[in-house]
Amino acid sequence: MTGRAVANEFAKMRRLRTAPALIALVLGVTVLTCGTALSSPGFTDSAGDASPHSWRVLLGSMGIAVPLVSPVLIAVMASRQVDIEHRGNGWTLAHASGVAPGALCRAKFASTGALVAAAVLAHSGLVVAFGRLVGITAPVPAGPWLGYTAWVTVVGLALLALHLLLAAWVPNQLVGLGIAVMGVFAALSSAGMPDRLAFLLPPWGYYGPAVPVGYRDGALVALTPPHLAALLLAAGAGALFLSATRRFDRQEA
Amino acid sequence: MSALITTHGLTKRYGGRTVVDGLDLRVPEGCVYGFLGPNGAGKTTTMKMLLSLVRPTSGEVRIAGRRMDRSTRRGLLSEIGSLIESPPGYGHLTGAENMRLVQRLLRLDDGQVARAVRTARLQDHIDRPVRTYSLGMKQRLGIAMALAGEPRLLVLDEPANGLDPAGIDEMRRLIRRLTGDGTTVMVSSHLLDEVDRTADVLGILGGGRMLFQGTREELFARSVPDVLVDTFEPERAAALAGAWGAVLDAGTVRVPGLGERETARLVARLVQEGVDLHGVRRETRSLEDVFMDLTREEAL
Repeated sequence: MTGRAVANEFAKMRRLRTAPALIALVLGVTVLTCGTALSSPGFTDSAGDASPHSWRVLLGSMGIAVPLVSPVLIAVMASRQVDIEHRGNGWTLAHASGVAPGALCRAKFASTGALVAAAVLAHSGLVVAFGRLVGITAPVPAGPWLGYTAWVTVVGLALLALHLLLAAWVPNQLVGLGIAVMGVFAALSSAGMPDRLAFLLPPWGYYGPAVPVGYRDGALVALTPPHLAALLLAAGAGALFLSATRRFDRQEA
Repeated sequence: MSALITTHGLTKRYGGRTVVDGLDLRVPEGCVYGFLGPNGAGKTTTMKMLLSLVRPTSGEVRIAGRRMDRSTRRGLLSEIGSLIESPPGYGHLTGAENMRLVQRLLRLDDGQVARAVRTARLQDHIDRPVRTYSLGMKQRLGIAMALAGEPRLLVLDEPANGLDPAGIDEMRRLIRRLTGDGTTVMVSSHLLDEVDRTADVLGILGGGRMLFQGTREELFARSVPDVLVDTFEPERAAALAGAWGAVLDAGTVRVPGLGERETARLVARLVQEGVDLHGVRRETRSLEDVFMDLTREEAL
């Protein structure tokens, strides 16, 4: 039943403008990252060096572009996926067919989550391709790059779970979108906050500590993000989502 | 005839408010069961409890002899098609795409879906986006979705809501066709006229309680029509018949709730008192009147 419910969620995305939202997410992050990097002093000059500076500039730029673009677009995708159930009496249809409301939310998370994860991989890969295109010869810092990509995927999925629950709980979709806009401010502010303070604003606050580069004494240096925090976020958000959707399962139509 | 649905003491309370009160339903297999009652009588809540969408506060539901609860609902729901509250349908998808969602979920073959679409007479509109459908077409799509699994039981909650007279007539004919194929149909309405001509068995709900359950004939038999006495002296006759609760109604003496023996006594008394009678008859009553009386009593 779960596999069929997930397949149905992909089918429902037709004409729901999910593809434009995904493209906007990938291109938005990529273009903003590349644009910010190109305007950074010394980015193109150091491209031919063996130093990892140019890659660090790209990672730092992605650390600005991702929290600026992702929260709202992920909220839009979650909202559209859930709003059709409110409008089309889909909760009752699914429930009477054996798919309880919580199971429907989990199917939506699986389908939309796969697309969000793919989008993160896509913009991460496109930024690497851009780096090569502008002639960065130094090897890609694979560890930090993959770590950041994984972390952003976790935060994106936590955001998606949150917005799916919000959209299911509150039929007025403007509420979720309003929270997403405020989330952008929290996400951008988290970059300038001490980690402990940023973690008080989950999941948006996790964008800042995820960035594996930062300025120390005017120089862009590599940092080691507290990866355990991302694991805790994944575990916490996963447990909360499961618990909330199981509660939805018991909810009466 | 064996019962496909039975409930025993089915009750639903929200806080201190009792919405459904000790309902003992018995829906015979292969019939059309007309589930009637004014708005707010508890029909939709009852239907939701039958489908295990709402948990009863007490009592139980049995479908084909098996108890319906969270552990059995998935298996039992595969034998039930339903249309509860507003018709389902994703507006951004076409009718055919909506049907494919149901097809995938219930693992149906193309033939089953095509038959359901034809039965609901939706084949000419199936490739149009649902947002362009009229309410009648949306109802038919909802019915096609409910029928696609070729269910043994079809539960339809106010399917004629928002339909024009032609649509209501078409719905009646569709329901009759389905029972001809062996499907048991339970259909709710707040208007007796909508189900009167299609239902084999009627269940009348008022204030959450079952006011009547049985055939149309049994419902008629339960009601005692008023006795109307036509006389040249209506005021005097009404005064004499006051002990029987008579009232004067547009020149005719109306006596409610009078059995045959009491009617004979009344007539004998009036004749004995020298009242000139030229007619004694029972008021002709429609089933609607009986239904209204039953539900009005409950409302009072």
